[in-house]
Amino acid sequence: MAEHNDKHTRSAVPSINGREHMVAPEVAVAFLRSTMPFKELDEQTLAGLARHCKIDFFPKGTRIFTYNQTEITHLYLIQRGGVRAFITDDDGDIVLKDYRGVGANIGALGIIRGTKANLNIETIEDTFCYLIPRDIFKNLVLTVSSVSHYYLKIFSDNIVATAYTELRKNKLARRNSEELFLFNTKAGELSKPLYSVSATTSIQECGAIMARQSIGSLLVYMDEDPGAMIGIITDTDFRRKVIAEGRDYREPVASIMSSPLKTIPSDMLCFDVLLKMMTTSIHHLGVEQGGRVTGVITSHDIMVQQGNSPYYLFKEIASQKEFDGLYMLAEKVSGLVRNIINEGAKAEDISRMIALINEKILARILVLLHYQLGPSPVKYSWLMFGSEGRHEQTFKTDQDNGIVFQDPEPGRRQEVIDYFSTFGELATHHLVKCGYPSCPDNVMASNPKWCRPLSEWMQQFSHWITQADPQEQFNSAIFFDFRNGFGTEQIAMDLRDHVVGMCSGENTIVKNLARSCLRVPAPLSFFQQFVVEQNGDQRDRLDIKRRGLAPFVDFARVMSLKYCIRQTNTLSRLKRLRIKMKLADDFYNQMIEVYDLQMQLRVIHQLGQIENGEEPDDFIYPDQLTDLEKRMLKDGFSVIDTLQQLLRKEIQEL
Amino acid sequence: MGWISDKLSRLRQADDLIAANNRYFRELDRSRRLVDYSYVVYDTELTGLNQKKDEIISIGAVRIRDMRIDLGETFHYYVRPRNLEHTRATLIHRITPEQLKAAPPLEEVLPLFLRFIETDLLVGHYVWIDTSFLNRATRKFYRGTIANPNLDTMRMAQVYKRSPLYPYQGASRLDENGYNLQRLSAELNLPFFEAHDALEDALQTAYLFIFLVKKLGTVGIHTISELFKAGKKIDWTVMKTGIA
Repeated sequence: MAEHNDKHTRSAVPSINGREHMVAPEVAVAFLRSTMPFKELDEQTLAGLARHCKIDFFPKGTRIFTYNQTEITHLYLIQRGGVRAFITDDDGDIVLKDYRGVGANIGALGIIRGTKANLNIETIEDTFCYLIPRDIFKNLVLTVSSVSHYYLKIFSDNIVATAYTELRKNKLARRNSEELFLFNTKAGELSKPLYSVSATTSIQECGAIMARQSIGSLLVYMDEDPGAMIGIITDTDFRRKVIAEGRDYREPVASIMSSPLKTIPSDMLCFDVLLKMMTTSIHHLGVEQGGRVTGVITSHDIMVQQGNSPYYLFKEIASQKEFDGLYMLAEKVSGLVRNIINEGAKAEDISRMIALINEKILARILVLLHYQLGPSPVKYSWLMFGSEGRHEQTFKTDQDNGIVFQDPEPGRRQEVIDYFSTFGELATHHLVKCGYPSCPDNVMASNPKWCRPLSEWMQQFSHWITQADPQEQFNSAIFFDFRNGFGTEQIAMDLRDHVVGMCSGENTIVKNLARSCLRVPAPLSFFQQFVVEQNGDQRDRLDIKRRGLAPFVDFARVMSLKYCIRQTNTLSRLKRLRIKMKLADDFYNQMIEVYDLQMQLRVIHQLGQIENGEEPDDFIYPDQLTDLEKRMLKDGFSVIDTLQQLLRKEIQEL
Repeated sequence: MGWISDKLSRLRQADDLIAANNRYFRELDRSRRLVDYSYVVYDTELTGLNQKKDEIISIGAVRIRDMRIDLGETFHYYVRPRNLEHTRATLIHRITPEQLKAAPPLEEVLPLFLRFIETDLLVGHYVWIDTSFLNRATRKFYRGTIANPNLDTMRMAQVYKRSPLYPYQGASRLDENGYNLQRLSAELNLPFFEAHDALEDALQTAYLFIFLVKKLGTVGIHTISELFKAGKKIDWTVMKTGIA
């Protein structure tokens, strides 16, 4: 029969008892049912959709889409494997946009907007995809509201999304009051009174007015109609148009103003105002009422209203006269941290900020104690150990502190010891009240063992470095991160000199500490499992402090001992080590990025817990991470592996 | 009278079908690239492996075109065996006797299946077993066998495991269990599911097939001839003894 030789006349699949012999396999329907946004579809639509799907396979490293070239004929739904999305910038550098894993889809934006691929897509694992034809998908978006809503949300999120904003958004629900503020306040309520000048006023005179009134902008009118604002000048204009261009100060202001003035109605909600500023990149807007410009509003005006600024909290802490007042202020730390996270701070900035606040609180406690107990009989340094010593606390971490004081004259020894004993006791008590729990190992200034004169501290370190057994050396590791938290910094520096001097050429402690680092292997397999086994048991959790961050911290500490580095902050140590160990630029940068990402994840995780009224901990659950985060962490763990190999090599040479 | 001529014409038509099929494949160009053919990946369920006594009780198949599995082109039938009583004892758990009782007999399903596969190449896991049962049926009903070339994903997996692509060289060379469809799918990290019927087994095989074709393409195996040549280096006796 002719039809056997002619592919194009293939008849439809024959059937005896109706259509049940042509249905898509149930597993295919089940897969779609498990995938956003298709899980919202009814069973009949799902079964019909499955019949339109094709399944394709792309070996690792296959380019699926090429930016601005690929015509998108299908929506790709990842069933197995993963892809990375990236663009290549003008310099030819690859800019990674994101990773997508099982259940994610590719090509939706292009199909909906009818454009070619807007990103390069490449498989990073062997990848199987369900392909839904373009028109079928488009029809779903047009007819099923849950599907269209899903993509609407994704795209509006994507407009402002970078890796870090995604982290922030996913992990932190915005606090109600912030939302309420933005949605309840109208632009008119925040606008600043109007300062305006004639367009013929000289640039210099305008500058003088702005300086005199302490304002950042001036509106400009024509002499014919002083009520109608035709333009605006801001601080930026002075920088860009006057100084940078070497303009004559006597020119009229009209030559540098931005015109026309962009305005908003005074009853516009702050949220919409912010949105407008973000989309237009214009941060000074005229506020209009009854057809007249009545004031100016800036993004700064709105931001300032949004919550406690660090500056405000610092001032409050420093002016507290009572311990009770301090306790209350300490509670505001998490709110402040939320703010700076929302403003885009990286983990390093966040922990520095927390360290700074903690220091302010400590300083105030100790100052108030000196009011109470009288000045200290000799100079001293309040030492901080462990994460505090490294400037790396996140939220309320246990106290790890001590006091080192100048060796007293023999006759005053007991008196001095008694003073610091009471001082340490009270200080740690107030710190507990401010939310810094006692150290379970009793490493605190209230413990006579850690409240001693300089000579004894020196002996203690000498003992750890040259005589202690490996276990004792391991236990002493956090002491090597000491820094001055309050008091006379020189005493802490003398102690550091002693430690650095003792360590040079002394290999046992380096070897022993390195070995203990190597005992905790990089959690590579753990992550492979949880990236790949989407449906598997996900109760496994990751101790991000011990498995993710500690390898970096320990590496930096032990290598700093070896290379006589005085810094205690891990990033500062790594920066020094980069030179001393001649680390490759790529590797160093990767190391910093991974460390920062993990700090960030930890901070955000803990902030979320605090706001839910839970105790902060270090356990990250894979199912709470986005694909992107999993991917980044997984990549990060291979860095840890490299780090450990490096460490192994370093101690072999000893 | 009517039913006799009806049956005769059906037989005639069937014979034509086989003849056309054989004619087509005499001229098949085996130097075309694997990705340019269309395939039907299929699986049968049998009452047992005895060629004389046992029977096909279901056929599931899915088409691959442009090296993509087409979920719109599937085939799935249960087949009523002649000896339903005998079958009852040996039934595989996933088919009920009621399903079989309601199913059409093989002489009705077979032409539908032959039309479905048309001139596509056949693919299966341990496909020679399915093909031998299929050919027994075509010989009986149409006095001939179909000539569609068969590709065995099990053999292809052996080729793959001997290629530089396979990360565990030599590890499971003679371990026949390593070629069990489920194990292989898990090992190669393919989409994996518990198959409920012959259609889902065919789908699982199809995943394996497109994986293997594309992977082998990266080490220079592009045509049927190249694939068979690479397969010749394999000791097939291992395969035959392993299955029994």
